[in-house]
Amino acid sequence: MDKRRYFIRKVLNALLTIVLIASFNFVLFRILPGDPARLLVPKGRFSMDAMAKQRANFHLDKPMWEQFIFYWEDTVQLKFGDSFAQKRPVAQVVGERIWPTVILVGTGTLIATVVGLITGVFAGWRRNSKFDVLTTNTGMVMYSAPTFWICLIFIMIFATWLRWFPVGRMYDPGAVYTSWFSQFTALLHHLFLPAFTFAITYMGEYHLIVRSSLTGVMREDYVLTARAKGLSDSNVLWRHVAPNAMLPTVTLIMMNIGFVLSGAILTEAVFNWPGLGLLSYDSMVQRDYPVMQAVFLLGSIAVIVANLIADIMYYYLDPRVKA
Amino acid sequence: MIPRRLRTWILVWTPVTWLVLTLITYPKDRPLSSGPAMIIKGFFAPTVGNYPALIPLLLAVPLLAFGAAKLVRQARPTPLPWLLLAAGAVSAAWFVAASGLLHGQLSLSGRDAHAAWLFQTVVVVLIAASIYAWGAANPERAELTVWNTRQIWRLYKANWQGMVGLSIMIFFVAMALLAPFLANHALLDPTAQIGKPFATPTLSYYHWFGTSEQGMSVLAEFIWSARISLAVGLFATAISTILGAGVGIMAGYYHGWFSEVLMRLTDAFLVIPWLPLAMVLVAAWGQNYLILVLIIGITSWPGTARVVRADALRVRELQFIERGRAIGSSDWHIMQKHILPNVFPLVFANTILVVAIAILAETTLSFLGLGDPLNFSWGTMLHYAWDSGAAGLPAWWYLMPPGIAIVLVVLAFTFMGTAFDEVLDPKLRKREESGGRPDEAPDRLLPLGGGIGGSTQDLAGGVPSGGIWAGPANDWDPNEPGGPS
Repeated sequence: MDKRRYFIRKVLNALLTIVLIASFNFVLFRILPGDPARLLVPKGRFSMDAMAKQRANFHLDKPMWEQFIFYWEDTVQLKFGDSFAQKRPVAQVVGERIWPTVILVGTGTLIATVVGLITGVFAGWRRNSKFDVLTTNTGMVMYSAPTFWICLIFIMIFATWLRWFPVGRMYDPGAVYTSWFSQFTALLHHLFLPAFTFAITYMGEYHLIVRSSLTGVMREDYVLTARAKGLSDSNVLWRHVAPNAMLPTVTLIMMNIGFVLSGAILTEAVFNWPGLGLLSYDSMVQRDYPVMQAVFLLGSIAVIVANLIADIMYYYLDPRVKA
Repeated sequence: MIPRRLRTWILVWTPVTWLVLTLITYPKDRPLSSGPAMIIKGFFAPTVGNYPALIPLLLAVPLLAFGAAKLVRQARPTPLPWLLLAAGAVSAAWFVAASGLLHGQLSLSGRDAHAAWLFQTVVVVLIAASIYAWGAANPERAELTVWNTRQIWRLYKANWQGMVGLSIMIFFVAMALLAPFLANHALLDPTAQIGKPFATPTLSYYHWFGTSEQGMSVLAEFIWSARISLAVGLFATAISTILGAGVGIMAGYYHGWFSEVLMRLTDAFLVIPWLPLAMVLVAAWGQNYLILVLIIGITSWPGTARVVRADALRVRELQFIERGRAIGSSDWHIMQKHILPNVFPLVFANTILVVAIAILAETTLSFLGLGDPLNFSWGTMLHYAWDSGAAGLPAWWYLMPPGIAIVLVVLAFTFMGTAFDEVLDPKLRKREESGGRPDEAPDRLLPLGGGIGGSTQDLAGGVPSGGIWAGPANDWDPNEPGGPS
C-alpha cells in the first residue's frame, strides 16, 4: 500500500475513534442517575446557588444538542471544570499527576519488556527444555495472579519483614533533600517496589506471547533454509527468527502502554504512588465526577494514540505491510 | 432406539444436575451440627429453587420458542416438542408464581418460596426427558454426538494441563457448593468474633487461617467467598460470550457497511480502559453483584468478537456456504446452522479463557471496594485485608488464602482453555500415535467426514457442514419435509 494513504487511513481511523469515545464520554456522564448538576456539586453542602452555577458552568440548562456542542468546545480547550475534592481546575490536578505515572509505568514496562522478551526467546527456542518449563509455568502464575495481591505480598515481604524498601509514596513525607542526587536516590528507592510489581504482571504475558510466536515462526520454511545454509544457531535465532517473532509483541507492548492508566490504578492505589491511577481511585472514592470524566477521556485517548504509534512502527518493522 | 451410552448419561447427570441446583440454594442456617434429620430436610427446604422471577422467565422463553418451532417443523409426531413445551410451561408458571402476577403485580426480582422446589425438580426432569426423546427420535445424530464427545474427552484426558486445571476447578466448585456443610454461615456476621483481631492460625478448624481484623474466622469467609467469585465469573462470561460471538459472527458473515459499523464499535470498546469505566459505572449505579456481572460482561466482549470474526471470515469462504446460499438458505439459517457450528470450538475454548479474565475482573473491582457490601468474595476479603493494613503486620494468613485461591482458579481456567484449544484444533494437537506432521494428520474426530478446522477445508467443500457437535448431516434432517429451509 502507498505509504501516505496507509498513514492517512490510520490517522483518520484514530481520530474517528477519539470522536466516538469522547461522545461516549458525554453520554456516559449524562445517563448516570440523578440530576447531573447535583452530581457536579459536592454532596451534602449544595445550595440552589451552587447548583445554578454548576448548571451554567456545564451548560446543563441548555437543550441536549447545544450541550453537546458546548461539551466539545470545553473538551478541546481542556476545560473540565473544578475538582470538588481539591477545589482547583481539573486540568491542573490531572496535569501534575502525569509525570509520576510515566516514571512508574516507563520503568515497569522497561523491566517487563527486557526480561519477558529474553526469557521468551530462549524458552521458545528450546521448547520443553528445563528452562522453558520453569519460566513458562512461572509466567503462567505471574499472569494469573492479581496485580494488587502481588503488591500486597511484596509489601509484606520486602517492606514489613525485610525492611529493604519503604512502603508507598514517591518521597518520604516531610523530607527535604539537599542535592538532586539524594533526591534521585530516594526516588529510586521508593520506585523499586512499585515498578517491580508492575513489571511482574506484564513479564509473564510478554514471555508467553514471545514464546508462542517464536514457536510459530520456527516452523516457517525460511528458517529451515537458514539452517540448511549452515548458519550458526545464534545467527538463525537472532537474525532470522527473533525479529519476526517480535512483531506481535510490539503491538502488545504498545497496547499495554496505552492502558497505562488502568494498569497502574492498582499498583498506584496500593503503593500510594501519586499518579493518575491513584487520582482516578481517589476521585472514585470521593465521587469527584469532573476528575473522573477527564481521567477517563485521557485514558482512552492514550490507548488510541498508542495503537496509532504501534501501527506506524509496524509499517517500518514489517516490510510485508508495504506490499 | 436411543444409544445406550446416552441413556446412561441422562440417568447419571439428571440427579447430579438436580443436586447441584439444590446445593446452590440450600438454606444457609443449617450447619452440620444441627443433626442429620435437619440436613436432609434442608434438601427439601423452601429456599431450594427460590430464584428471582427473572431466572424462570429466561428459562421459559427459549424453551417455549424452541418447542413451538420444533412442533411446527416436524413431519412425524415425536414427543420432543411436547416435552419442551411442557418444560417451558412449568417455567412460565414458576415465573408467574414468583413475579406475583397472580396478585396483580409484576416484579422481576420477586421470589416464590412455596412451590419453587417442585418447579425446579419438574423442570429438570422434563428437560432430561426432552434430551431422551431427542436421542430416541434421532439415534444416528445422538450416536454421533456421543461418539464425538467421547473422543474429545479421550483427547482431553491425555492433556496433563487440562486435567490439572479440571481437578483444581472441581475442588473449588465442590468447596463452593458444599459451603453450607463446610462453614457455618452465621460466622460471616460482623458480630461473630471467634477470637482476637489478627490471631495467628491454630489447629482448631475455624482457626486454620487465623482471624481477620474483626476477629472473624478467615476460613469461613474463604469458603463462602468461593461462591460469589465463581458465580460472578461464570455469569459475566455468559453475557460476554453471547455478545462477542453474536457480533463476531455477524461482522464476519456480512459484507459492507453493517460489518464496518460493528467492527468500529468493537474497536471503540476495545480501547476503552475497562477499569476506569467500570469504576464510573459501579460508583453511579450502586454496588451489587448483578451490576458487577453486567459491567464485566459488557466490557469484556470485544476480544471474543475479534477472534470469532476472524474465524467466521474463514468459514464464510468455504464452499458449502456458497452452496447453501445457492439453494436459497437465508442468512440467519446459514449463520446458525453452518457458521456457528464451525466457529463453535473456538468460541468454546475462548469462553473458558474469558472466565479467567472475568474472575480476575470481579476480584479487582471488589478489591477496590466496589463489590457487594453484603457478600464476601475473595476480592472483598483482600479489600478488607488491605484496608486494615494486614500487609504491615504482617498477617500473612489473611492475605495468602484468597490470593492463592484466585491464582489457582484463574490458572485452572487458563489451563483448561489451552487444553481445549489443543483438543478442538487439530493443528495444535500433539499427535501421540501418528508420526506425521501435525497439520497433515487425518482428522479422527469426525467419522463421517466434514471438517472442524482449516486443515480439512478441501474436504469440507463436499460436506454440508462440519461442527463438532453438529454432526455432518446438519443441514438435512430426514424429519423435516423438503430438506433445508
